[in-house]
Amino acid sequence: MRVASELRFRWMKDVALPVLLKARERRPLARPRGESPLGPPLESTRRLRGLMTRHYALARYAEGARPVAWVTSGAPVELLRAFGCYTVYPENHAALCGARRMGPEICARAETAGFSRDLCSYARIDLGHALSGLTPAGRLPRPDVLFCTNNICQTILYWFKELSHSEGIPLVMLDTPFIASGEGTPEVFDYVAGQIKDAVPALEHITGREFREERFREVLSSSMRASALWGEVLATMRHRPAPMTVFDAFVHLAPVVSLRGLPSCERYYEGLLAELRQRVSQGVAAVPGERHRLMWDNIAIWFALAPLSRLFAEHHCAGVAGTYPNAWAETTHYLDLADPFGSLAKTYTLIFLNRGLNYRLGLMETMGRDYQVDGLVLHSARSCKPYSVGQYDLRQALAQRLGIKSVVLEGDMTDFRTWSEEQAKTRLTAFFESLDG
Amino acid sequence: MGRTTYLLGQKAAGRKVAAVWPARYPAEILWAHGVCPAEVWDPPAGQALAGAHLQSYVCGVVRQGLEFLLSGGLAVADFLLFPHTCDSIQNLGSLVRDLVHEPRPCLFFYLPRSREGQRATEFLEAQLRRLSAELTPLAGPLRDGALEEALALGGGRASALRRMYDLRARGDLDATNEEFYGAVRTCEYLWPEDAVLHLEAFMAAHAGRRGRGVPLVLSGVTPAPSDLAARLDALGAALVEDDLLACGRRFLKTSSAESGAPWTAMAERLLALPPCCTTGDGVEDRTAFLAERVERSGARGVVFLALKFCEPELFQIPSLARAMRARGIPVLIVETELGSTTPAGMMTRVEAFLESLP
Repeated sequence: MRVASELRFRWMKDVALPVLLKARERRPLARPRGESPLGPPLESTRRLRGLMTRHYALARYAEGARPVAWVTSGAPVELLRAFGCYTVYPENHAALCGARRMGPEICARAETAGFSRDLCSYARIDLGHALSGLTPAGRLPRPDVLFCTNNICQTILYWFKELSHSEGIPLVMLDTPFIASGEGTPEVFDYVAGQIKDAVPALEHITGREFREERFREVLSSSMRASALWGEVLATMRHRPAPMTVFDAFVHLAPVVSLRGLPSCERYYEGLLAELRQRVSQGVAAVPGERHRLMWDNIAIWFALAPLSRLFAEHHCAGVAGTYPNAWAETTHYLDLADPFGSLAKTYTLIFLNRGLNYRLGLMETMGRDYQVDGLVLHSARSCKPYSVGQYDLRQALAQRLGIKSVVLEGDMTDFRTWSEEQAKTRLTAFFESLDG
Repeated sequence: MGRTTYLLGQKAAGRKVAAVWPARYPAEILWAHGVCPAEVWDPPAGQALAGAHLQSYVCGVVRQGLEFLLSGGLAVADFLLFPHTCDSIQNLGSLVRDLVHEPRPCLFFYLPRSREGQRATEFLEAQLRRLSAELTPLAGPLRDGALEEALALGGGRASALRRMYDLRARGDLDATNEEFYGAVRTCEYLWPEDAVLHLEAFMAAHAGRRGRGVPLVLSGVTPAPSDLAARLDALGAALVEDDLLACGRRFLKTSSAESGAPWTAMAERLLALPPCCTTGDGVEDRTAFLAERVERSGARGVVFLALKFCEPELFQIPSLARAMRARGIPVLIVETELGSTTPAGMMTRVEAFLESLP
């Protein structure tokens, strides 16, 4: 069975999918209908589409051929890669469902089973998918292990515990204590590093594979390079005019979330960075006539990405910075091959969502200055408490420190039942006009 | 005597007062430093001030706590303590300290999300020592033997509460729901010796067989809204056990095995509390705990109070309810919010549930 699965996986990976994807790559990039206020689309999008399609398509054949792990976006995936796990990110999958406007339909399956509509919509999508199999990705492989870290939220913990309980799948959980102030203490990092070490024998048992430290270091090294490249990609938006926007960043962050630690992720960002640098040198603007530069706070509104991007551009506003895309470049500098476990503990504990709001304020202030933003758009995501609670005061504080105007959009990442497009458009239009003075 | 009057008395007696947000925290450390904790679960508060800081989708515990703070309701406190219970309380603590610029010191406490292994105990012990170090400049250093005394105080209070719960479960406490929870919840602010005296006096005053009523177990965060217990009395429901985060799920230690070393014993005591979603316990443990509560008390059903926007609770309720039903235990899930008045619709559902019980 395992041999058959392995052969099928390899055949798909090495023969069938490359042919299929080659044909798909030739398809032209979709351009908005009518006259677009946006600059030319990024050519890399074609490769991104291929990369992520391949990832999800191959996932269907991973069962039995590779240990399959479902992972949270803030978890040290490097450890799983060292075991050759095929990883699926339920958050990334939920974002995909959101972008395809399937959020409410899948959420409703979880709600019918008793899960409150007030819960995180990513979680509801994942639980709804577990109950119904509904997905735009064809089929997700059943996991052999769930791997979660509560550095991005406690919700993850409740969600993965529920999934583990209802589906009977083992859960490996890393507890990353909240850093209310300062840079963390040795006892915190020792605690987290110890748990990562403890996960090794657990994963050896679950995957039936032996841990090889050399392989682990190779993965770490690749992960460091990919995150650094992602940081450089984002940094190109410091240029005036910005060669891409935060809406592009939301789309192009998929590999660093889902594939970091793999060579394909590094290669992808090398190509994207080269394209962006070329755009910078040629003065190609993502938003022609860029007049205002904005920072976006919180997760994307996946189902409204395209209309929002267009609305921004119509008013010559370029989203040039975002706290969310920045998260995958923020702490990678802590990674150290000489101390893989200790440095992983620091890298994953010190992300901004696991730190006090004062830290987030400082981070946003720095980003605001570095990217020369003159306005702030805060997505108050009903589903995401750790990201959203405190935004009203962050807004006031940033207005004082940076002298910028801001607007709050009440919405959600995927569940558009709570979203009023007209209201958002009215608020944004008024905001854009206020920027013009 | 009201809470504030009592707490002012504590201050007059030389103690400090800490306003403490839910849910689990090491009260013993505070007592050892001569600090009287006053817990902020569901204070009487309007909606005027917190709305400028919090979105409408934030739970009532966080909203009302902030409202109470901003309206001066916690003026008696010398400092504030925010245990890391959930994402919303985590951010509330940071919001109050960093962005609302609360002038009084704000302390944080993190309880590990796993009880397994030596690692959690050691980390928790380090957290307790750190908290003690932070309390020293605010309330003075620890006296020799203060930790042992505080542990004994905590043990005495837990023991009194356990007896009170046992009496109620056996039907040997002649108290209404309202009276019972009125007494239990004094532990949210009374100095432990006073709490024990109060609980003992209550048990003595209410000795006797319970009157008739449909025995139920209540699960949720607090017995909210504040008139709920009395409304259940009026309906003829007798709460005989609970799995409330503010009450039975927090006070009653389930294990008596403790190390001799006080810091370790304190850590073990926290880790031995009943299973709870806020500390990462799985639904299996909570199911077993809840089923045991039902069995020992002879309850005929479980009412889950699903507090609006409370993620830890809302994630587990569907599985808990399913598990109870699978054991043949009737279940009612009602959405609830903090406040003073139980909506009529909710009471109608409870009434119908009571009538449907075998």
